[in-house]
Amino acid sequence: MNEPGEGHTIKAWDGALSGLRGRAHQMGTLVAQQVETAVRALLESDREAAELVLRREQQINAWQTEIEAESFRLLARQAPVASDLRTVLAISRAVTDLERAGDESKKIARFALASAAQGAGGPSRVMHRPLRHMAELASESMRVAVDALDRGDVSVAHEVARLDREIDQEFEAALRQLMTVAMERSRLLKPVFDTVFALKSLERIGDHAKNFAEHVVFLVSGADVRHAGPERGEAARETQH
Amino acid sequence: MQTGITGPEATTRQAPPNQSVDGRLATPRPTIDVGRGAAAAGEDAIVKSRAENLSFYYGTVQALKNLNIEMREKRVTALIGPSGCGKTTFLRCFNRMHDLTPGTRYEGRIMLYPDDFDLVAKGVDPIEVRMRIGMVFQKPNPFPKSIFENVAYGLRVRGLRSSARVEEEVEKALRRAAIWDEVKDRLDSSGLSLSGGQQQRLCIARALATNPEILLFDEPTSALDPIATARIEELIAELRDQVTVIIVTHNMQQAARVSDYTAFMYLGELIEFDNTSKLFTNPSKKATEDYITGRYG
Repeated sequence: MNEPGEGHTIKAWDGALSGLRGRAHQMGTLVAQQVETAVRALLESDREAAELVLRREQQINAWQTEIEAESFRLLARQAPVASDLRTVLAISRAVTDLERAGDESKKIARFALASAAQGAGGPSRVMHRPLRHMAELASESMRVAVDALDRGDVSVAHEVARLDREIDQEFEAALRQLMTVAMERSRLLKPVFDTVFALKSLERIGDHAKNFAEHVVFLVSGADVRHAGPERGEAARETQH
Repeated sequence: MQTGITGPEATTRQAPPNQSVDGRLATPRPTIDVGRGAAAAGEDAIVKSRAENLSFYYGTVQALKNLNIEMREKRVTALIGPSGCGKTTFLRCFNRMHDLTPGTRYEGRIMLYPDDFDLVAKGVDPIEVRMRIGMVFQKPNPFPKSIFENVAYGLRVRGLRSSARVEEEVEKALRRAAIWDEVKDRLDSSGLSLSGGQQQRLCIARALATNPEILLFDEPTSALDPIATARIEELIAELRDQVTVIIVTHNMQQAARVSDYTAFMYLGELIEFDNTSKLFTNPSKKATEDYITGRYG
């Protein structure tokens, strides 16, 4: 008889679960990198960086398909319960958020490519600082959420929620600033629009990081915090988007 | 969500708390550690039976250690735990199956409500207990008699003489056990001529014939194929409206499928008792978690 606290009696089951967590972590790390690379491509009109984002996006999609198929297979064959069941469910939900965050990076990379093709396109200089700052926040919140999965740490959910609020505030402030620019200098309408879309993508990435952290909380504690607590406001607002 | 150690609100019929039917003050009702989920479920179920500080000994070996647990009326309670944890020993206490084993001893009580009847008290006739509490065993064990006689036997023991009434009750029990349609044209055939799954349902009909208040199942499907197992599980789900069920099973998915409450036992102790959905998705105790996820046992 195994003693309590050891791994599963069926060793392959330990391997399958840690493999699932490992791949979700790997996927999350790449998604965080995608955000940084995509914004750098946009700000520096770097075609190569933008193309790199688009190539890696295919890898992210492939991982999503693979992790979901593996989760499905484990549910069918192992009939997991308790924390094992929560792990499989939470990870298969979490990779959906990762894939969507990946899509948002792809959108930014496409803007970057389009801007680079038009020569002097891209966001107006005045928007570089908020874009860079929001990219840092979005990427950091994704990293924090993904590391929480690794450590099984529920406390970071609060940190991710705080970062998400900061991203939202930054987004609101940037929008106000852009409206002023658009009103004063109508020839900048195109770069203003591009910038709004890029900012919106970063804001969505913050939301996905927050969702990811909530899946980690569910995995570790069994609590569904998606529509509870101080984040209720954000959750409600998100449904309006 | 509550984290207290008292159980969910459940009431015993008629008998007021801490008072037996004859008015004498009984020992205080113990509180039971049931985890959080059952309380959260907020179910207002009636307690049909309650083990109070129940210990059981095979000679000097203590097989059950001070169990406190409530069985709710018309609900299915599953007992799970590794081999040797005492779940079958506990189940057998309910209809005094240990009485024939020399050197065994009970401590504490198993109260049956509404009449505050202590099943394990000295001087209580085990036959009377078994009239009120039926049992279905691991291996189907029909008597080597006709299908009809298998079911009629208990009725006759209870003193039912009118053959019309016996026939009526036999049909009723066979219908309740979901086997009537399969055997109605061959009631005179031997019970042993049936398939394993049918034999088990015949044994359930036999147990139901005397209208027991509690039906005990000791791994009732471990000798059956998946289809016969599914039929027994479906039958347990149907019986849930009529009788209190306690089931011992090694198959945790079965416990998860058929029961309303689950008790996890380990080394003769009750580790965790909670509503089944809670216990199988987010158990409160690490030992339970480790057992149901296959980390030991």
